[in-house]
Amino acid sequence: MVGVPKPDHCSFLTLDTAVISPQDPTLLIGSSLQATCSVLGDPPGATADGLYWTLNGRRLPTELSRVLNTSTLALALANLNGSRQQSGDNLVCHARDGSILAGSCLYVGLPPEKPFNISCWSKNMKDLTCRWTPGAPGETFLHTNYSLKYKLRWYGQDNTCEEYHTMGPHSCHIPKDLALFTPYEIWVEATNRLGSARSDVLTLDILDVVTTDPPPDVHVSRVGGLEDQLSVRWVSPPALKDFLFQAKYQIRYRVEDSVDWKVVDDVSNQTSCRLAGLKPGTVYFVQVRCNPFGIYGSKKAGIWSEWSHPTAASTPRSERPGPGGGACEPRGGEPSSGPVRRELKQFLGWLKKHAYCSNLSFRLYDQWRAWMQKSHKTRNQDEGILPSGRRGSARGKRARAA
Amino acid sequence: MSQREGSLEDPQAISLLPHLDAKIRQTHSLARLLTKYAEQLFQEYVQHQGDPFGLPGFSPPRLPVAGLSAPTPSHAGLPAPERLQLDAAALDALPPLLDVVRRRQAELNPRAPRLLRRLEDAARQSRALGVAVEAVLAALGVPARGPQPEQPPAAAAAVSTDVFPAKVLGFRVCGLYREWVSRTEGDLGQLVPGGPA
Repeated sequence: MVGVPKPDHCSFLTLDTAVISPQDPTLLIGSSLQATCSVLGDPPGATADGLYWTLNGRRLPTELSRVLNTSTLALALANLNGSRQQSGDNLVCHARDGSILAGSCLYVGLPPEKPFNISCWSKNMKDLTCRWTPGAPGETFLHTNYSLKYKLRWYGQDNTCEEYHTMGPHSCHIPKDLALFTPYEIWVEATNRLGSARSDVLTLDILDVVTTDPPPDVHVSRVGGLEDQLSVRWVSPPALKDFLFQAKYQIRYRVEDSVDWKVVDDVSNQTSCRLAGLKPGTVYFVQVRCNPFGIYGSKKAGIWSEWSHPTAASTPRSERPGPGGGACEPRGGEPSSGPVRRELKQFLGWLKKHAYCSNLSFRLYDQWRAWMQKSHKTRNQDEGILPSGRRGSARGKRARAA
Repeated sequence: MSQREGSLEDPQAISLLPHLDAKIRQTHSLARLLTKYAEQLFQEYVQHQGDPFGLPGFSPPRLPVAGLSAPTPSHAGLPAPERLQLDAAALDALPPLLDVVRRRQAELNPRAPRLLRRLEDAARQSRALGVAVEAVLAALGVPARGPQPEQPPAAAAAVSTDVFPAKVLGFRVCGLYREWVSRTEGDLGQLVPGGPA
């Protein structure tokens, strides 16, 4: 066939022309290296005379080299720096005309330090994910391999985690076949070309590190016409719904234009809550999370889930400025931690003891407030009071309600 | 079909075959896209090997690569069917070489996932382009393979465990991939109706 391509190797020197020793050495930072480049065979012009070295593309000073014999050029490097790339520094021996005769890759670095700060969590008791911190505060300059190992404390063989980097560069995920009610020992081994190091052993029971999904179906709605309250409802995370009788929940909320979240902590194992003390006519974003505390009798704190997706709602508009701050008010009229309501709680408690108004309750209080707001609006319309408090055209004066 | 219509020498004849037109255009577009990817792969590769691999004028020994040579200077002067046959043969030879490079780079640069992914993609894309070129040849009534070219002797570096020769081999393979994909784009471009004769 016309024009069949021929191999294109004939007119060039190959990498078999010379050999560098040592080939691909591993060295500690700060150490020295003695290397040689020995020319093989007899191609014309390729003697040790005229040879030179480069390291990562930069020509090395001639004073670092010396000719050992007609075919060998030596090199002495001292106080080596850490490797510039993980694939190794390129030490190259060149002929006089600059062509490459041979190469060797240097691996200069530090052995790994002990990994530490191992933390683990289990999602719905089905798996285990662990994270750790590598030991060296700076780089080792060498590729360091981390291996998470685990075993049952009192029996069983060592196992190695296989799914790495699931939650960051130093993490591993064990997807299945985990035992409950029995402790595991977990540790991390770090290995590179210069050695290895092992972390301290972490002992844990899966049930003590359980987390779960965020609560689904979070709904936020107004509480009638109350301009400073919103009602939040959610559903227990379904994966653990049969185990969450001691679960805790947390709510956080913020005004639409703000980045500052307010957190409501004291929401025990309920699936609804009322936020009070909010600003009227304002859009709020609300999120909820769950801590599956007390799973199977575990006494440990449990691990908070991620926050649910933000749900937004707005408080009704009002002409009166709303009170600042807020706290969660549970439905059913239990007292919350706000100062006004705290005093009211004390008052109601006193009333129950010393008076005969046993039917007084927070529900009644809220109804009274709603009535007050409605009659305040009606009064403002009658008196022609504009939102800023200025008077407009008045139809006639009325005494303010007591 | 008239003799004129069936002739590869007359680009005008090809325009009378709309399905073949479309096939050639499509394959040419694919080759053009893969030329860009091949260049990106080459740049990513040299970056991870360190200097002097990325330096202008870097010219390592032209190690022979088993089963594959670079396009020769006389390639452009060959008739279109033979050029395409050589393109298809090269594209078919590249995937196993790219796999060898990827496996070695997985040891040398384990923290370079994008490089490893590009190498894996390149093997797949080379195969796809080769099949597409063979389909064009079939549509033109030309066998996908001509007489087998001489195989260059297997490169010593292909089996060496030393790192520097492995880096050089990868440099060569990525370079060959870039050359052959670009060559294929050029050869198909000459068949696209309205393209250069």
